[in-house]
Amino acid sequence: MNFKKQFMEGLLTKNPVTVQLLGMCSTLAITTSLFNGIGMGLAVTIILTCSNVLISALRKVIPNQIRIAAYITIIAGFVTVVDLLLKAYIPALSESLGVFIPLIVVNCIVLGRAEAFASKNGVLASAVDGICQGIGYTVALVIVCVIRELLGSGTFGGGLLGEGGAGIRIIPEQFPAMQIVMPVGGFLVLGFVLAGSQALMKRMNNKSKKKEGAK
Amino acid sequence: MKQNESIVMYVLRLAGTLFLITAVVAALLACVNAVTAPVIEELNAAKTQEAISAVLPGGFDTEITDFADETGIVSKVYQGANGYAVEVGPGGFDNTITMMVGVDNEGKVLGISIVSHTETAGLGAVAAAGTPKGIAFRDQFVGMGAENDILVEKDGGKVDAITGATITSRAICVGVNAALDCVAGLG
Repeated sequence: MNFKKQFMEGLLTKNPVTVQLLGMCSTLAITTSLFNGIGMGLAVTIILTCSNVLISALRKVIPNQIRIAAYITIIAGFVTVVDLLLKAYIPALSESLGVFIPLIVVNCIVLGRAEAFASKNGVLASAVDGICQGIGYTVALVIVCVIRELLGSGTFGGGLLGEGGAGIRIIPEQFPAMQIVMPVGGFLVLGFVLAGSQALMKRMNNKSKKKEGAK
Repeated sequence: MKQNESIVMYVLRLAGTLFLITAVVAALLACVNAVTAPVIEELNAAKTQEAISAVLPGGFDTEITDFADETGIVSKVYQGANGYAVEVGPGGFDNTITMMVGVDNEGKVLGISIVSHTETAGLGAVAAAGTPKGIAFRDQFVGMGAENDILVEKDGGKVDAITGATITSRAICVGVNAALDCVAGLG
């Protein structure tokens, strides 16, 4: 097990959003304020880690032929638990994320990691994978959120900071491009974030190649 | 299929495993639901209560069930000493907006509060927000009566719509109109 490698994979080189392009539905839909991004990221991280651990623990018990059905049942169970807990104890977040919490069931990141990682690796490695992939998802969401909120509403920290959760105003009210908050802006911003992460990875690759060449 | 395993045993083994998993998950959900259901119900009741007292000073005494409503969006009417609180559900940008409209005994709006909605964050959601902009939007309805239809400025009315959320603003006007008409019908 290599924690550092798994962490880098989750954060950048195999980031669920920018490289694996999983969970696009939630990434495009809820990334309009910082509060949403952090909340959704945390919820997915918790569910992903729990389901990864349980699926990894049961990987030798679950027959191969019915594994997808078994995984989905386990994931749906965890999602419903989180949904009920949020509704009861953090109603503000539950209202803000709305239908996207139940939709984590079909968020391909969770099933994707169950199939690609947890079903083939030990419990501890799967837990680390869940946390790392969850962090990667959260970071990607937060980046998209901050850009969309800044350009679309002209604020930072919506839902968390400022009077009544309006966020801290950075761009005067008449300037922000409202379309950035709409779906089309989601696609645009996501595209630029993907390009940015690709460029970053390319630079890192070139650097490590140069280092090898110098040796 | 394992060696020497009959087809019946094979099917039973698969079905049995899946059944066990679903049974355990169902039991877990039942436990969590038992714990959270009362809390959620309490929260919802408190929210309705809060919405009523926000728009109707003094709260309500009785719920009126036989009200006339042509629009079909009025769901509940509560009566108190100072007037009525009407729950209406106009269609918003992509779903129903549930809101409470307070109407005094003279048929003027006392205030509106939004109970639940799924409007776009940062646009339509401003109507329900506790921000200065949201409060200003809701407060402009206070004192309006049923003599004229309440409309946004774009449609020739007096309501200053939320920037970029004309549909949400219109929906709220529709809700307020329906509430006023409903109370007028009560006499």
